[in-house]
Amino acid sequence: MANCSSCPDHADCGPPELDTRGFDGVVALAGNPNTGKSTVFNALTGLRQHTGNWPGKTVTRAEGGFKFKNRRYKLVDLPGTYSLLSTSQDEEIARDFILFGQPDCTIVVTDATCLERNLNLVLQVLEISDRVVVCVNLIDEAKRKGIAIDASALSDDLGVPVVATAARAWKGLKELTQTVVDLIDGKIKTAPKRAFGDGAFQDAVTELIPLIDEVAPDLPNARWVAMRLLDGDHRVRQALQSGDLARLAARTRGPIEQASPLIALGGTQ
Amino acid sequence: MTDGRSNQAAAQLVLARADALRGNLADDFRDDLVEATYDEAQAIAERAVRQVRAPRWNLDLAVDRLVTSRIFGLPLMLVLLAAVFWLTVAGANYPSALLMKVLFAVEAWGSALFESWSIPWWITGFIWHGVFRAVAWVVGVMLPPMAIFFPCFTILEDLGYLPRVAFNMDWLFRKAGAHGKQSLTMSMGFGCNAAGIIACRVIDSPRERLIAILTNNFVPCNGRFPTLILLASIFVAARFSPGLASFAAAGTVVGVVLIGVFFTLIVSAALSRTVLKGEASAFTLELPPYRRPDILRVLYTSLIDRTVFVLARAVAVAAPAGAVIWILGNVTADGVPLARHVADFFDPLGRTIGLDGVILLAYVIAIPANEIVVPTMLMVYMGGKIMTEDVTGTSLESLLVDDNGWTMLTAVNLMLFSLLHNPCATTILTMWKETRSYRWTALGALLPLVIAFAVTFTVAEFARLFGAG
Amino acid sequence: MLAPVAQLGSTLVTLAIVIASALALVFGGRVARWWGGMREAGRRVLAEDALKHIHNAGLRGNPATPDSLAGALGLSPHRTVNLIARLEAGGWLKSSAEGLSLTSEGSQWAVQVIRAHRLWERYLVDEARMPLERVHAEAERREHHRTADAVDALEASLGFPRIDPHGDPIPTARGELAELRALAITEWPEKTPGRIVHLEDEPPAIFARIAAARLVPGQTLVVEESTPERLVISVEGRTLVLPPIAGANVFVTPVEAPERRALPTPLTTLGVGQSAKVRGLDESLRGYTRRRLLDLGLTPGAVIKAEMAGIFADPVAYRVRGSLIALRREQARHVLIDPVAHGKASDG
Repeated sequence: MANCSSCPDHADCGPPELDTRGFDGVVALAGNPNTGKSTVFNALTGLRQHTGNWPGKTVTRAEGGFKFKNRRYKLVDLPGTYSLLSTSQDEEIARDFILFGQPDCTIVVTDATCLERNLNLVLQVLEISDRVVVCVNLIDEAKRKGIAIDASALSDDLGVPVVATAARAWKGLKELTQTVVDLIDGKIKTAPKRAFGDGAFQDAVTELIPLIDEVAPDLPNARWVAMRLLDGDHRVRQALQSGDLARLAARTRGPIEQASPLIALGGTQ
Repeated sequence: MTDGRSNQAAAQLVLARADALRGNLADDFRDDLVEATYDEAQAIAERAVRQVRAPRWNLDLAVDRLVTSRIFGLPLMLVLLAAVFWLTVAGANYPSALLMKVLFAVEAWGSALFESWSIPWWITGFIWHGVFRAVAWVVGVMLPPMAIFFPCFTILEDLGYLPRVAFNMDWLFRKAGAHGKQSLTMSMGFGCNAAGIIACRVIDSPRERLIAILTNNFVPCNGRFPTLILLASIFVAARFSPGLASFAAAGTVVGVVLIGVFFTLIVSAALSRTVLKGEASAFTLELPPYRRPDILRVLYTSLIDRTVFVLARAVAVAAPAGAVIWILGNVTADGVPLARHVADFFDPLGRTIGLDGVILLAYVIAIPANEIVVPTMLMVYMGGKIMTEDVTGTSLESLLVDDNGWTMLTAVNLMLFSLLHNPCATTILTMWKETRSYRWTALGALLPLVIAFAVTFTVAEFARLFGAG
Repeated sequence: MLAPVAQLGSTLVTLAIVIASALALVFGGRVARWWGGMREAGRRVLAEDALKHIHNAGLRGNPATPDSLAGALGLSPHRTVNLIARLEAGGWLKSSAEGLSLTSEGSQWAVQVIRAHRLWERYLVDEARMPLERVHAEAERREHHRTADAVDALEASLGFPRIDPHGDPIPTARGELAELRALAITEWPEKTPGRIVHLEDEPPAIFARIAAARLVPGQTLVVEESTPERLVISVEGRTLVLPPIAGANVFVTPVEAPERRALPTPLTTLGVGQSAKVRGLDESLRGYTRRRLLDLGLTPGAVIKAEMAGIFADPVAYRVRGSLIALRREQARHVLIDPVAHGKASDG
């Protein structure tokens, strides 16, 4: 029948740790497939990419670095996904990194020509992390198609900074890095948009949050954890039981050298 | 850590509460959640996005209508495939020959230098005629085609054409119980089967991913193209006028590739009806808008990431293999080189399937990497002799046909064997890494081998029946 | 002519020996362990199947007997007696003049096996996308050899389903089993919407008829015509004729708030160039495919437009929320849209 990796109880094989020595911060790059995420990655890292992305989309971990005002940041390219509801290996990798890898900032790259679909992912990332910068890429292509994006309206609605870029033409990248660094330095405060679901669901979430707070105090995303527990997310249940979530909460902004062993990147590698 | 136990109890409490609360929710609360998120996304997008002017003539849709047209779709695909191969064959011809000339001149110069320093013959032979020659061959034969093939291919990929191929071909793959995205992973297999197998991660369903993994070997990878191109040039293209030769060679390679596609579909269908039974899974394929390829990025990914990556691996395997070949060719027992003994051992089996012992020996030595099949064959055929002339020219034809009795049957069966035989060690290892199963890996390695023997045996029998070969 | 044949033979024999010894070196230990494990596992499968049979017979109201057990498991009388003795000694069952009954430990075990069975059925339908009529046999094979933890993990990964694909309730980890109250559609009033809650999967021949009609729990149906000869029902925009013997195995409960909108039609009715609003995904589409289609934005209210078909007419590419997504006919028919008024097709 199906192979072992199809079994729901198939355990992940030893995830490699993220080597952050010599870096002052970790930035994750998330986004839908086909949004020019790799172009943004290459533009930021100046083609200092370590691994090849064979099939038009990132299947192996791609890491690089960029420098800004004498500080070095590690940039991790996550697999392109439509959602983070953990329905495929890709989504699990991306979700786990944003949750357990605790990047200092997550850039969500979106396609300006098809913003609505992309915002679905943005809203999900905002549930997990409040350190998010939205990059509206392919703004040049949108212009050609007669589409105008009001970045400040978008930023007001989402509660996080929004930067328009045209990565292929190297436009808006400086502003993007400046915004990311400002966010990491705490110069930009965020208030991410979080509120979905109908009444009964919201009530259940509200009831769970204080209980979660007791187990893992000061978790920045207790709301999201509550939602995932209601959904029956096995990975989050485990993290709660094993105390990983509590440790995450205790380690808010600690030295990156102690990065959690839970950083599960690279799939089965 | 001090209150670990009480924390764990609290965690259990949370989970129990969550389970109880879930029981009170509507059956499809998950759907509602996604719907609510999308509604929010739609509302935000409506505020932030403005269509300032009507979109101009939709080029994308026009191109898409052509590319997916029932009349032009398939021919267009074949023409593009043939064009890429023709560019590769024709474009690589001259630089390959030049590169070989230079590298073999280096070999002659190096061995002469060693001789002038009166270094023992076996050290000179081992280093220059063994290790260096195998590396030189691999670099000379592989680098130019790859440097042309990969950028062409990456351009098609960046342009957004490949997803359209998957879209068009899906119907065939569905009939075979597989996924249309398998054509993407197959395309990737042209570069390297190991990479093609990693690429199978784009297929979400485990069953269909496994089918794609197990059959990826039926597209010839870059390591096997030199064999195909060489045979196509000597046995097919040579019969055409020089102007048409490169087209004939490219046509032959396309033909072999189509046979490979045929076997992929047949084997996929067989697998999905036997050991990998199951219903077709979710097929969702995004067709991204066409985009102008970013030439810098194309060159970077195709040359640095792909070409150098594959070449480096080939060289790493070729060097020790060169050493082994040289030892087999120069260490003698009963006055005959070891290679001959081994080749003679394989010879009856080889003859049965229309090949010979040397070819099979070459394939055994080439298990680590297919790139070294041709150099191994040539080295064994030549014995101790050193060939420094133009290797792709007529001297090679006379070596194979006149000295070693190759016929059209040998050529055809060698092409088939090269197309169908077992994957290389790297590919087998990748299969294991991706499936984590010895059983599937063994199937993926042995099934092609069995098919290769069966097909070449059948062809040989038919050829003999009709008096050829 | 003989010499080459003999030579070929010796070559093949040598190769076979080399390959066989290599395989023995690599897999030898595994084979030995596997063989040892098989005997133990076989005993457990037998015991679990026996407990399940006794449990189900008890539920039906006529207790199992050694004869019925031998028949159900296909065992000889001698082996059946041994099995019963073994299970009785283990404290799992009691035999009396009325027949066989389970101890409380025994029924707990049986319920756990049923729980594993129904979860596996859910997994096979939702995630492995196996046809409904085949899952029972496969789940029968998979329900054994699983630790309680593994079954719990399976339950969590499936998102804690409450019913199996046939509509039977799935016991919880503590062994609680919900009661089911429903009527067969042969007894259901005409023109009243009912929600399918259970499909009886025995006997297989009749179940195959139900599965072929693509009826699944969760769907809302209306009985249009009910006579002893034939049963006409409409479900998700389709009108079906069922033999009453099949209808007797389809169970429904009342729908709280019957919908008063025009019936939806499948996305496959949308011609190239036409647009429509998505009504929702049909109930038979579950698991990964459902989540993926939702993630792509095929939620109620989204506007969808058929842009083009592939060279073989299937799949079709649809524009939804700004991106172009290709769907096979097989998926598209699970997407329900508002009916398209014909002639309203607009191109470009």
